[in-house]
Amino acid sequence: MFEKIKKSLQENTDIKDWTIRHDIIHGFQQYELKESTESVREVNSELYTIDVLCDSKNSEGKLGSGLGTVSILPGGDIESSLEDAVITAKLVHNEPYDFADPAAISEIELADKEYLNDPAGEIQEVLDTLKKTTESYPHVRLTAAECFGQEKTAHLVSSKGIDATQKTTQLYLQWVYIAGSGDEEVETFAEVYRRRISDLELAEEAALRAQYTSDLLEAEGPPSYEGPIFVQGPTLAVMIAGEMLAGSLIQTLSAASLKYSGETPWDIGKSIFRDEVKGDDFNLFANRQLPYGIPSSSFDKEGIPAKRIELIKDNKLEAFIANQRFADYLDMEPSGDFGSVEIPAGKVTQADLQSKPHIEIAEYSWFNPNPITGDFACEIRLGYIVEDGKRKPFKGGMLVGNLLDALANMKWSKETGFYGNYLGPKAAIFNNLKIAG
Amino acid sequence: MTKNLLTPEMAALRPDLSEAVSILESKAPYGAVTLTSREYTRYLVDNNQEAVNPGDPTEGVIFTAFDGHTMRDKGVGGFSKEHLLKEAKDFVSGIDFKQNGKLDPGKEREADFQTEMENDPAEVSTQDKMDYLREMNQRVKEIDSRIVNARVSFLEMREKTVFRNRTENLAQDVQRVHMGIMVTAMGEKGVVFDFTSKCGCAGLEILTFSDEELEKLVRNAIGLLDAARIEPGEYSVVTAPGVSGVICHESFGHGVETDMFVKERAKAAHYLGKRVGSDLVNIYDDPSYPGAFGSYFFDDEGLPAKSTQIVKDGIFVGGITDLFSATVLGIDRTPNGRRQDFSRKIYPRMTNTFFGSGDMPLDELIGQVDDGIYIPKISSGMEDPKGWGIQVSGHYGFEIKNGVLTDKMYAPVGLTGYVPDVLESISAVSNDFDLSGGFCGKGTKETVPVTDGGPHLLLKARLG
Repeated sequence: MFEKIKKSLQENTDIKDWTIRHDIIHGFQQYELKESTESVREVNSELYTIDVLCDSKNSEGKLGSGLGTVSILPGGDIESSLEDAVITAKLVHNEPYDFADPAAISEIELADKEYLNDPAGEIQEVLDTLKKTTESYPHVRLTAAECFGQEKTAHLVSSKGIDATQKTTQLYLQWVYIAGSGDEEVETFAEVYRRRISDLELAEEAALRAQYTSDLLEAEGPPSYEGPIFVQGPTLAVMIAGEMLAGSLIQTLSAASLKYSGETPWDIGKSIFRDEVKGDDFNLFANRQLPYGIPSSSFDKEGIPAKRIELIKDNKLEAFIANQRFADYLDMEPSGDFGSVEIPAGKVTQADLQSKPHIEIAEYSWFNPNPITGDFACEIRLGYIVEDGKRKPFKGGMLVGNLLDALANMKWSKETGFYGNYLGPKAAIFNNLKIAG
Repeated sequence: MTKNLLTPEMAALRPDLSEAVSILESKAPYGAVTLTSREYTRYLVDNNQEAVNPGDPTEGVIFTAFDGHTMRDKGVGGFSKEHLLKEAKDFVSGIDFKQNGKLDPGKEREADFQTEMENDPAEVSTQDKMDYLREMNQRVKEIDSRIVNARVSFLEMREKTVFRNRTENLAQDVQRVHMGIMVTAMGEKGVVFDFTSKCGCAGLEILTFSDEELEKLVRNAIGLLDAARIEPGEYSVVTAPGVSGVICHESFGHGVETDMFVKERAKAAHYLGKRVGSDLVNIYDDPSYPGAFGSYFFDDEGLPAKSTQIVKDGIFVGGITDLFSATVLGIDRTPNGRRQDFSRKIYPRMTNTFFGSGDMPLDELIGQVDDGIYIPKISSGMEDPKGWGIQVSGHYGFEIKNGVLTDKMYAPVGLTGYVPDVLESISAVSNDFDLSGGFCGKGTKETVPVTDGGPHLLLKARLG
């Protein structure tokens, strides 16, 4: 079918450029409830996605480019689908642009050999390991867990001469720990996305969640507070890199598409902060080459090879993240998709960061700053008042502030960690944030 | 009279489904086969670009076999008539089902359903849709020169489903439409935006915006350039229907999806028949609500859509279920078994979830507030089914002073509290009603279209 689609595209004189992406997905899903299995699923799918670029004219007759996209299932009608794509492309009016040219594509490590050996067996093994690990924490009960595994093979060919294939794996694990009884029960809910089973770091994650769950039983009401806030692990990763499947504030404001539309205040060579930097200088790479990073890829959906872009250096923006189209519009090199967030290690140890009285935020309900301004007011699900070597848990209250202002006044730890879409300091202290208790 | 109820491939496969169910039930106490086709296309026009992006179609056959303990599913992409029966045989072969007698498949029923529309998107050309978006973009950007971008988007979603078990043979064709307008403004303090939307299970006829609506949108976007941060503390709060809806969605929506009961994740499980809010609190979930974005005719397990009352006069009376959770918990099923698409499992999910209206005019309700905040619009919410904490992010709020709404604007306005405290504090409920539509996930996955809403509420909550 791939060759038939390719031949039809080559023969269509209305099409200026085209890309075919062929995705084959095999997935296994297992859902556990306490001691039993709730559901077991197997999912297989295959899809061809075709982008066509055509010349189009707007109502004033000005020549531009239009993109038409169609997806075809195996056995689908190729000719009528391509006809739809061309009709759509001719109705969409944008400034002229090109598809990506071929470039050397490096192979990035994206597939877990351990998983690929026996997908269903490995998923069972992950869930068994989780259950066994939980036995070490008798104060918590594992009441539910879900584990998904997916193997995806993507083949991309374009009229510009790109021909590339990549195989990826992705694991998803969620589980619930409950502690206490009756109306006094508390829970923690964990969700982890990784490409490799070994990166799930089950023992470490389970220990942390078990600790949080038992501490929630003891947690008191929130304080009203203004001062240093310590954050670590996955909670810090979400603040900086965003939710696993969504973007972060930094991704949004560094997008070339927003620069083109005048919706980001950021400029190359200028500080990303509105005020003076009082903490560590901020440096960040947008890294699509990170081995086993969830957003990593050897090539993105346009065929642009993986890059590691120095995005922010000493608080100043160094580049915008651009697909081919916006790179053409803004006369810059295309970077392709953003990838993972990578931040260099800090200068002090985690222990040093925690040496003075502070509050630690262990979990938010949802850290979701305004995607343009960075303002946030997020409920705290679990925090600790840390003083004189003692940690007093609390829950509730709101952490209030602005993420960009917070990043301009913080210190990073020397120790680093990897959390799926984030590689960087394991911990950080924000020097001055406010909790509304 | 239904027209294009199913795709030709689905229609061709439908007569064979009964035999496939028999194959499943030769091994399992309960079997069902579902054909599902979900297509969507997003259209976008803003000041600088245009796009038409069809989403990946999800089409496939789902084989379900259930023995009262473990729900087994297999999703196979595409509709292969040639492979249907073999896939059914392969699926159940080698599985050791518990034999507890046949499970009740429901009443004998054969019916076809289709969304009523005046202006079916399938019969409107891409050219006309794009021209309408261009016109909307033009109307918005002409309102104020400080607008740097006016992004107009339109989403059409078509869901076609055939559900077959031993007794039911059902088909539905559900059309959903959603139009959103996002306005971005830039000032000395940076970039801000406001947004509005309309949506429903309907045709294009519902997607019209008056000049007054667009002017209000632009006025609020510009206003955000000078909005202040609110001083954290407890306030008297008036919530607009969309904000009321998110409070209900996050409190007695997610928290009463009964898979949460099975997983011991729901605090509400300990409150059945008990007071959870003031007498004024009535909460419903209703997939049969006419024209609403979260509506359908039957759920993904073949149960006909109907309203479920969750909270009655402040008392929690029952949750929403799917087949699995209802069976395990031994409670009545409600029509809330939903899956994201053929590649995902069914969970009990919300549809259209809302507070019931009261009888107080809105101006009278606001007139009761000496010093408070009106929150007209939300940007997000998050559930906490076990801890009953609530987080609702208001995009902005306006000051209420001496019973009068002022122009003083705060942004953002985070609302948090303990669910029973917030619901118990509801002291007035207006006589109006509206639903806002969007998409809801379970954790970071399992996205389904929903609405939530209700009337304006007067309550006490912590803002920050």
